[in-house]
This record gives sequence, C-alpha cells and structure tokens, in this order.
Amino acid sequence: MKLNHRYTLAYAVISLFVLSIGFAIVYAALSRSVTQTTIGKLRHLNSVVTAQLRSGRDYSRHPARTHVRIRVGAPTDTLRHPSLVEVRDEWDATLQSMVRTVRLTTYPVVAGKHYHVTSKAVVVEPSDEYLTGIVLVFAWTFVFLLALVVILSEVISWRILKPFNAILQGIQRFQLNQKTTMALQPSRTTEFNALNEFLLKMTSRAQSDYQGLKEFSENASHELQTPIASMKAKIELLMDSDLTEKQLLMLTAMHDELERLAKINHSLTLLAKLENFESHPAARTDLSLLVPATEAAFADLAEMKNLRTTLHITPGVVVALDESLAQLLLNNLFSNAIRHNLPGGEILVELTATELHLQNTGYAPTVPVEELFGRFKKGNAALDSIGIGLAIVRRISELYGHRIDYTYAEGWHRIRVVFA
Amino acid sequence: MKILLVEDHAELAQSIVTYLTQEHYLCEVATTFDEAREKLILFTYDCVLLDIMLPDGNGINLLKLLRKDGVESSVIIISAQNALDFKLTGLSEGADDYIIKPFPLPELHARIKAIMRRRSPHKNNVLTFEDLTADLDSMECRVKGKLLNLTRKEINLLLYFINNKGRMLTRQAIAAHLWGDYTDNLDSVDFVYQHVKNLRKKITDAGGKDYISTVYGLGYKLNAAT
Repeated sequence: MKLNHRYTLAYAVISLFVLSIGFAIVYAALSRSVTQTTIGKLRHLNSVVTAQLRSGRDYSRHPARTHVRIRVGAPTDTLRHPSLVEVRDEWDATLQSMVRTVRLTTYPVVAGKHYHVTSKAVVVEPSDEYLTGIVLVFAWTFVFLLALVVILSEVISWRILKPFNAILQGIQRFQLNQKTTMALQPSRTTEFNALNEFLLKMTSRAQSDYQGLKEFSENASHELQTPIASMKAKIELLMDSDLTEKQLLMLTAMHDELERLAKINHSLTLLAKLENFESHPAARTDLSLLVPATEAAFADLAEMKNLRTTLHITPGVVVALDESLAQLLLNNLFSNAIRHNLPGGEILVELTATELHLQNTGYAPTVPVEELFGRFKKGNAALDSIGIGLAIVRRISELYGHRIDYTYAEGWHRIRVVFA
Repeated sequence: MKILLVEDHAELAQSIVTYLTQEHYLCEVATTFDEAREKLILFTYDCVLLDIMLPDGNGINLLKLLRKDGVESSVIIISAQNALDFKLTGLSEGADDYIIKPFPLPELHARIKAIMRRRSPHKNNVLTFEDLTADLDSMECRVKGKLLNLTRKEINLLLYFINNKGRMLTRQAIAAHLWGDYTDNLDSVDFVYQHVKNLRKKITDAGGKDYISTVYGLGYKLNAAT
C-alpha cells in the first residue's frame, strides 16, 4: 500500500466519523427546533385565547378555538405550573396514523377564575423523508470530500514525496561497483535533506571502501604471484644441486607451502574477479556435452581411488552459463566428489533439463553443510584442501541465477544445482 | 635455440635463465617493454617468453606489435593471472601457449619443447633416452624396440621425464603437468605415485631398466642406469 493511500484512507475514516457526528447533531437540532417552533406557535395561540377570555366576548366559533380546550380548574394550580408542555405520540384520527403531538397548557386567571387553556398541534417529525434528505446531503458531502481528499493527496503527495521517490530510485539504481555517486535532488523538506545527506555519505563511503578493497585484493594477489614464482624457481634450482636428505626435505616443505600459497592466492583472485564479473546474459553452455567431458577428464583420478561413477545425462540441456565458468564449476564439483570420497566409493551424476545432481559417498561433514559454501570452510579438516572451491561454485551459480544447495544424508553428499 | 625472456622481476628472470641455460638454450633477458621491442627488431629468436605485466607497457601490446611486423617467433605468455582470465578475455590471442605463475621450471621447459616441435614438423620427432624411444607423431613408446602398452597419461609422463632427464621432478610439478587445472583440489601426490609406479612397472616388464628413481619420497628423477 502506498504511503499517500494510507493517508487518504485515514482521512476518509476521519471525515466519515466527523460527518456522522455532524449528522447526529443536525438531526437532533432539527427535531428540537421543530418542536420549539410549534410550542412558540401554541404560546401565541394560548395568549390569543387568553385575550379572548379577558375580553369577555363569545369567541367559541372563532377558528382559534379548533385546537384549544378550555377548562376551569382549582385555584391552587397556577402556583405550580405557569405553563405545561407535553410531547407525546398519539393516534390521530384525521391522519390515521401515530403522530407526535405537542400540548401546551397555560393557566390564565381571568376575572378571578382559574382557567386551564390547553392547545395542541401535530409536529412534523424530521424522520423518513426528512431523514433521507439529510442523509443524502451528508452522503454527497462525504463523497465530494473524499474525492477532494483523494485527488489532493495524489497531487500533494506527488509534490511532497517527489524527493523521496527520487531517493528511492537513486537507491535502486545505485551500484556499489560503479564510481558514480547517487543522483539526489535537494528538497525543501528537512527530513528528506537529512536522508539525502546521510545516503550520500553512506554510499560514497561504501563505494570508496569497496574500491579500496577491490584494488587491494587485485593488486595483492597479482603482485604476490611473481615473488612466489621466483622463490619456487630458486628452490627447484637448489633441488638439483648436491644436498643432504634433510636439506631436501626442508626445501620440499617450503616448496609445498609456496604451492599452497599460490593456490590460495589464485582462488581468492578468482573469487574477487567473480564478484565483479559482468555475466553476459547471452552466454549459454551445453551441459549435456560438458558434464561427460569433465567426467572423462577426471576418470583416471576416480579410477585410482576405485570409485564407481554413474552418469545419467539428458541430451540437449543448454543453460545460461559462460563456458569457461561452467567448466570451472564442474571441475570444482568433480574434484570435490573425488577428494572427499571413500576408497571404493561411488559418484552419481544426474543431469535433467532443470537440475544437475552430483552425489558422492563420503564421511559426514564436521560442520553444518550450509557453512561449506563459505570461504576456507572445510568439511573434513584432515584433507589438505584450501576450502574455497564451493564458494567459487556458489558464486558462479549466483551470477546466472541458478540455485545451489548441499545436503548430506545416510553417507551421501548431495549437491544440487537448480537452473534458472 | 635462442630464447628471449621478457620479465621485469630480476630474480625470477635469473632463475629461469639459469635453468634454461642448463638445458642448453641460449637465453637473453629484456626487463622492459622498450628493451624487448628493440631486441626483437634487431635479433631473431625461436621463442619469446613474455611476461604481460611490464613496468612500461603491456606485454599483450608487444605481442600485437610482433605479429603485425610478421615476427615468426613462438610466444609463450607468462602471467600472474588466472587461466580463467585468459579464457574469458581472450588475452592469449596470437600466443602459442600461456603459463601461469608460479610454475615449475620443468613445466616451462616442457612447454618450450612442445612448441618447438610443433614449429618444426619435419624434424625427427622421436625422443630417445638410453633404450627408450618415444615417437611423438604416433605417440608410441618402445623399450629396445618393443612397444609399450601405455595410457595417454603414462605417455605424457614419460615424455615429461625424458624432456627433463637428470632433473629432480617434484610430485607437484608432475601433477600440474598431467592434470593442469584439475589438481587444484586433489591429493595429487597419491595419484602421481600411482602413475609413476605403473610406468616403471611397464618399462621393467618389457625388459627395460628401471631408469626412474625416487628422490627421498619427494619426487622422481630419470637417470641413466648406473
């Protein structure tokens, strides 16, 4: 729900509430004023009748007397009621319905006699017709009010929230790996300006951090390779000279460590590269060809561990992946499946139009399987792996929107890639 | 065989030159882009080993210049970048091969040999060592004229040994040579051990001597039988 819609709704509810109260007030006032007016008219009638009584002439045929009854009462009455008003619903014979009737009794003293002059009139209730009229008036008012609120809230919120929407768009378009800052427009609203400023600061900080990190990782890994290569070359030259066994062992240990260093370095560089890799949406790879080819490349390695590999390949499975990245992904998966397998174990590969499954037997992992996608996580610390292969695999999958998961159950490690 | 090494890292260049000189190559070094260009204009080289990160220019541009001027030398690119970068960016265009730092020196040597052989197809393509022969065209290996039944990997391994005879080859170098990128994640040592064992057995079974010796369990060496 949009912000201004929420506001509109709130305003609509509030105005409905206010209008309802207004309606009640109007209704009450109207019915009261109708009764009051009638009473006023009756007072006038009573005073006319009293004047007639005072004059002593016979006015019994006078039209004023049609709705007036005159009695002579006890002398004590006047003290208690200067006048008496009664409002009641009564059956009216002439209208043949129940009507609200107002009676006014006054007690004039004329020539020492205590009179009771009671006049009555029918009050038109502001019900039914009246009510409908009033309700309609209010309903239309409400409708117009609502229309006005809706239109105005659209216009006003568009004007007021313009900078906010600009900020939203800016955030959406913002990319960490680009050097462009967020394009934000200044606004007259304090809060938006504060938000703008904050966002600009935050994003430029993030960008510069990111750039620094990127340059560092690129330079570091790149510049490290040459010294490593140099050291390794020197060690190799030394190995061919006359050395004692002890010296050779030491050299070899150095050599191995350097090799490891180089591999870690390469893997990290690769990951950093993949983080900034612009995937070509058009890149497609035929896995139905590539999977068996990769399996064949690893065949002798699998054979030496006495592994049985079973392939189920659906032909013509072409997915969105860069060819060399696909090769890298498969290499990592296959080498993992061999490396973490038991001697005489099994590897099952299944490729369907929607998924790639790779299962292998192996010991239970020592850490939760989800963590194995992290860097330098090893499911089996005994093995001399770097523990970065799965991080690379996951990153490659992410690049093209494929989903990857890893489960372990009953002695089987199972990797599943669900194609986007 | 004249080789030009274009590499700005003096120590690494020195090691490579030492190694290649031992292998009877004539080796010259250029440490900058300009120096390399000058040398290539003035002299002819059979093979250029080209580091692409030079202080005063990119080796790739040098490669393009070479090819434009019709220089026929073979070029092996030496790079600190990943193999993947090459595949993704097509950097290796115009180069005959590329090798990723850090590389075992015997591997560099094997690559140079392979390229040289490709360039001169009419040369005698049979490698010999004592009574071992390896025909590079038919990929047949013989002991005293008797054909050995070797797998592709074993042939590859034997060639690697013959090319680097008398040198100690670490298991890692052998693994890198045999499986290239695939070894990143594998316990290559065991695999190398298996392959070498099979190869030795096949040679001795066919009546050859056991030329391959183990060096303290660190690596192997191909030596003339003593």
